[in-house]
Amino acid sequence: MNKIKKSVVLMILLALTLILFTACGSDDKASGSGDGVVELKFLHKWPQPEYSVYFDDMIKKFEAENENIKIKVEAVGDEPIKDKLRILMGTDTQPDIFFTWSGEFATKFVKSGNSLDLTDALNKNPQWKNSIMEAGLEPFTYEGKNYGIPLRINGKFFVYNTEMFEKYNLEKPKTWDEFLVVLETLKSNGITPIGFGNIFPWAGSHYLTGLNQKFVPQEVRMKDYNPKTGEFTDPGYVKALEYFKELNDKGYFNSGVNSTEHNMASEMFYGEQVAMVYVELEEFSEMEEGLPGKWDFFAMPEITEGKGNKNYLTGAPDGFMISGKTKHPEEAIKFLEFLTNMENSLELVEVTGWPSPIIGAVSLDNSSEYLVEGMNAIAQAEGMALWLDTDIHIKISDVYLPNLQELLNGTKTPEQIMKEVQDMALEVQKEAE
Amino acid sequence: MNMYRNKKIAVFFMLPAVIFVVLFIYYPIIQNFFYSLFRWNSFSPDRVFVGLDYYRRLFKDPVFYIALKNNALYAFISIIVQVGLGLVLAAILEEKAFRKYQTFFRTTFFLPAVISITVVGLLWQLIYNPNIGLLNAALKAIGLENLTRAWLGDSKTAMLSVIATSQWQYTGYIMILFLIAIQKIPEELYESAMLDGANAFSKFFYITVPQVADTIVVSMIITMIGGFKVFDEVYVMTAGGPGRSTEVLASYLYRSGFRNDEMGYAATIATIIFAITFVTTLIQLKASKANKEE
Repeated sequence: MNKIKKSVVLMILLALTLILFTACGSDDKASGSGDGVVELKFLHKWPQPEYSVYFDDMIKKFEAENENIKIKVEAVGDEPIKDKLRILMGTDTQPDIFFTWSGEFATKFVKSGNSLDLTDALNKNPQWKNSIMEAGLEPFTYEGKNYGIPLRINGKFFVYNTEMFEKYNLEKPKTWDEFLVVLETLKSNGITPIGFGNIFPWAGSHYLTGLNQKFVPQEVRMKDYNPKTGEFTDPGYVKALEYFKELNDKGYFNSGVNSTEHNMASEMFYGEQVAMVYVELEEFSEMEEGLPGKWDFFAMPEITEGKGNKNYLTGAPDGFMISGKTKHPEEAIKFLEFLTNMENSLELVEVTGWPSPIIGAVSLDNSSEYLVEGMNAIAQAEGMALWLDTDIHIKISDVYLPNLQELLNGTKTPEQIMKEVQDMALEVQKEAE
Repeated sequence: MNMYRNKKIAVFFMLPAVIFVVLFIYYPIIQNFFYSLFRWNSFSPDRVFVGLDYYRRLFKDPVFYIALKNNALYAFISIIVQVGLGLVLAAILEEKAFRKYQTFFRTTFFLPAVISITVVGLLWQLIYNPNIGLLNAALKAIGLENLTRAWLGDSKTAMLSVIATSQWQYTGYIMILFLIAIQKIPEELYESAMLDGANAFSKFFYITVPQVADTIVVSMIITMIGGFKVFDEVYVMTAGGPGRSTEVLASYLYRSGFRNDEMGYAATIATIIFAITFVTTLIQLKASKANKEE
């Protein structure tokens, strides 16, 4: 008797699981259902509560103003979103509005027809278009058309401990030679000059973003970063690697850079174990929290022998694109307009401390003088050197980045690395045809 | 009565399971091979037929051999430590003198196996940290300063460090499998051995080991396959770095498919992983069968 009971229960359980499975499969009719309500899927990369609250508030406000639009939000962290986006793009359940970095990372979505052309929308609303910094829009263009709206604009700066600099009579270095003097002085006084964590080598690629820009003439670099024409034969690339390696070989970084995380490097800076750390504008609010009132910053110093444009800055905007397959382009554009209008950009700066590319959104009223100064530096720069890891073809980046760790470990020379990069660039060229 | 002889009914009852296995295991394996013949990525519909190009490329790819070597090392060390040490630990805990404390040790050793890999990975990343890590500090404290190094940042030690973490985590798990197997051994065998004057060592080698032979084979297969499928530990702790020194097949597959947009190449690697685990499992099963028949 008991046995029969048991098997009946089992059968029921089995049946239930099967029903569950089949039920899961048929649940994608949700968007755009009959009663005139439009549902937009929105994917961004800030699951951290201190940042996601901004988006949640915005969505509430937007939905209150537009009763016929519902926004379904999803947030995925910085690393996983790189894979998630690629997968989602291949499915029918693409998000209507999605986060992306600028540069090649965004371009590949454009080229595969996954991104909506926003040129008309921007031209129809000149007030909107003119409110966005050119340096924020430009990296989202492809063949003269706009595909993305920037949410933030980021620069990379050396942040330093002002007390330590004062103690040894050091000033913000303007040239690389002055920079080396600063580093040497600190080191000879027993202070580790720069905190650096390269266990995930995007961190090293940010150094190289600046160094490549400074060493290689602009046209040559742009030609090389284009997958169709990239060769990477300019001697400046080797020089850039040598300069980077010198910082490590001379002991200007903490020990074990390849097993340290970037966050750990920042922690060392707050703990005053290192005098400097190389961070993004968006991290300035964290710097202020970690070492209040005792820090200042400077951009990567000029390199006299470099052939690149001297008025460039390392940094890039990131922001949102609209899916090329969206059924509701107008509503999606409306949401992006809403997100980047003046009022909401002010709130973005207020809540997150992020550098907004909307002209005038970052001011002394709502941000620290450092953030304002950093934004000024971006506004005055002639152009931006976009993050190396998202600006070149992913396959080249995949050779370049891990090799930065080998470079610092001394297991590969700059020439060897550039040879590998050149080989991969040729392979990518062939595939691009 | 007749029902047990009726083959038709037997087939009918097996059908659901067969369909499940075919649909969710065999079909994807074939499909995966099919995918490896094309150049494609996940977000674009175009597929270019490339034939066996990816297989040719794979066998010339130095990273593939680094990964293969790392997987082999992973599997080898895991079998030695997890199966070897796991069995010894289980035998010790089953000794009369230790039975009283068995529950405590069993839980302690098993505990790491239930912690999420991400947590374990980050935990050990901190332990290995060259500046604030526990390991270097401990070495310094006992005067072994010259042994300190950047464990995960140095190509020479990175792979072994990751493997060591995995041993810490899973030896307890295999130990539990052996505990169960040992508890099933009839007590009389040990009693008669004792009457014959066998000591602990001979009891272990002449009774315990032969009696748990099946479990040894199973756990060797589990750890071997685990060694070739390993992904999370590497991904969390080093992401394949420094350089490519800790790349394993699964992380290389992932990198190819989801980062470098080469799904075809990823499928090729997947096919190879399947071939390796399939063949070695067959060999192990065959070997254990031959052993039994002797």
